[in-house]
Amino acid sequence: MTPLDPSTLTLASIICWLLASLFFGFAPARGLPRRIAHLLLLTGLLLMAALLTSLWLSMGRAPMRTLGETRLWYGFFLPAIGYAVYLRWGYTWMIHYASLVATAFLLVNLLHPENYDRDLMPALQSPWFVPHVVVYLFAYAVLAASAIVAIKGLLRHALHRPVSGELALADRLVTLGFGFLSLGLLFGALWGKEAWGHYWTWDPKETWAFLTWIMYLAYIHLRIHRGRRELASLWVLAFAFGILLIAWFGVNYLPSAANSVHTYAR
Amino acid sequence: MTNPRPTWKSPWGYAEGIWVAVGLCIVGLGLQLSGHPLDPRALAWPVNLVLALAFTLALVLAHLFGRRSPWVNWLGRVPAALCSIALITLLVLIMGLVLQDDSTASPLVRRLGLSSMTRNWVFLFAMFWFLAALGIATLKRMIPWSWKNLGYLLNHLGLYIAVLGALLGAADVQRLLMESREGEITWLATDPHGHVYEMPLAIELIRFEKEEFPPKLAAVETESHRMAPHSKLDMFEATSGHSGTIHGWQVTVHEAHSLSMPVEDLFVPVYDLGAGPSARVTAHHPETGETREGWISCGSFAFPHRLLELDETYSLAMTVPRASAYRSRIRLFTPDHEPREALVEVNKPLTVGEWKVYQHSYDDRFGRWSTTSIFELILDPWLPVVYTGIFMLLAGSLYLMFKRRIARPSAANGDDHDPA
Repeated sequence: MTPLDPSTLTLASIICWLLASLFFGFAPARGLPRRIAHLLLLTGLLLMAALLTSLWLSMGRAPMRTLGETRLWYGFFLPAIGYAVYLRWGYTWMIHYASLVATAFLLVNLLHPENYDRDLMPALQSPWFVPHVVVYLFAYAVLAASAIVAIKGLLRHALHRPVSGELALADRLVTLGFGFLSLGLLFGALWGKEAWGHYWTWDPKETWAFLTWIMYLAYIHLRIHRGRRELASLWVLAFAFGILLIAWFGVNYLPSAANSVHTYAR
Repeated sequence: MTNPRPTWKSPWGYAEGIWVAVGLCIVGLGLQLSGHPLDPRALAWPVNLVLALAFTLALVLAHLFGRRSPWVNWLGRVPAALCSIALITLLVLIMGLVLQDDSTASPLVRRLGLSSMTRNWVFLFAMFWFLAALGIATLKRMIPWSWKNLGYLLNHLGLYIAVLGALLGAADVQRLLMESREGEITWLATDPHGHVYEMPLAIELIRFEKEEFPPKLAAVETESHRMAPHSKLDMFEATSGHSGTIHGWQVTVHEAHSLSMPVEDLFVPVYDLGAGPSARVTAHHPETGETREGWISCGSFAFPHRLLELDETYSLAMTVPRASAYRSRIRLFTPDHEPREALVEVNKPLTVGEWKVYQHSYDDRFGRWSTTSIFELILDPWLPVVYTGIFMLLAGSLYLMFKRRIARPSAANGDDHDPA
């Protein structure tokens, strides 16, 4: 099967999502423009799904090997989860956020295609690879959404507006995101045993993944015990996402990562 | 802490947690500086088993008979958990920022154990504090038993088992390397310090196999072999029929061999020791109308690489192919079994009794023609304990996602709302 052209499809998805975001922003709650907004968003998702399926079939392996391919999945899951959160809780801004962040990730692919295509190294050829990456992308996407909720909460707090609604949404997102994060960490441990001989080696990427995990663990326990400390909870949540970003992007640039096994993308 | 309650008056909370953290840091760093670094081997079997049982038993007894103690009461609640989490976060943050096992680190960093955090007293103390808090909190939900607490117990007890098993079991982990040559039987393995061990298994390497991705074509500076600027995007695979534009030249691959040898000006396909990839290509420059034709190869240990000169500065080159898979066909000898053949591949280790045999590396001077294969032999007797914890945590994570109801943060000091 001939693969579909990644650039064209990526661009088409981006256009769909940005238009959907625009329609969701300005269309009234009911009526044709709103339906167009839904349609545009779903079309973007379908195009992305088609691209991923086509890549998967044409390459005969999961398109999860390079940073570029990772971004495609991220670009798919962010709008999907943003849309799901919107459907469930009615937060329109989630769609704007998800569309913009997904666009940013996909633009990196379009502007830096040299990052895109790399050979798969033997250590990555494992049945653990797909679940490990998928649950992490889910976790990162949901936790990214929780970070935006935290920032919105901090802004509202500064304006002396109530933030309990934001925290309630953040709690739901963190519970889901933390579940995925734990699965990702544990899948990684089981895979590590098969590929490198040990389930945990304090490789820099593992160290930062652990930090991310324990920060969200702290947030969950803080919320249980000090539910009324809203400002502290919001700051912990925002800080946790900062750690997550280092775990995800930043590790390769840290001096402590000189010998990391997780730096495939170089 | 806006709490009007004076510190060290029951029930303890965050202030006491901070003092405990400070105390552990002082004692731990004192031990580091006094020249008593933690010797991980001191925890080796059976010390670790005794320690694990004694620690757990102490927690059970404390929970059953010491509930009135402010210590036990405090350990079982969220403030102690959060403070121990905060201390661990701080220590792991240092681990994440300071290069570990770095012999060039400053003497102070080394003496404080900041570049060997997992062998640092403070880290060990923090982990045991965390485990104590986790253990007491778990026991509070275990006794009396209620199925309602299943999710909570999967997560908390699972974490306790996994962390305790990993922490204490680390001393019993053995990682040895065994170098095996084709046709020879080996039963000796060496540890990182060069000590040689006689293994309860022997390996005869029948054949080492390596598969490679097709090499790529790229424009390089003829002198330095450096990639031509901005040409990274132009690279494409050197497979028959492929064409593309590299550094302004239209390049077509007419013929490509993954295994070949040079014969005068040509390359002929052969399957023999030292064979390497080659391709016959033409390069046409549309602006100048020039055309170049010839064979290129990345070479092998048996013959040099060959470039196709494009102009005075640049040449067309073939990149060294990257491994797509490598594995060893072996014959395995163990005391209690007939010799049997087996395959050891990256990501597919072989289990032999208590040992796992991993494909570690090969002699990369010879690449696919290596007749040496290096195996890593790993023994981790505590793995079943850690895996029990890990699988409980996996189930607990799913429970958390699907079942957990978010506790309403109604009471400012309310504990134990969390059903998962």
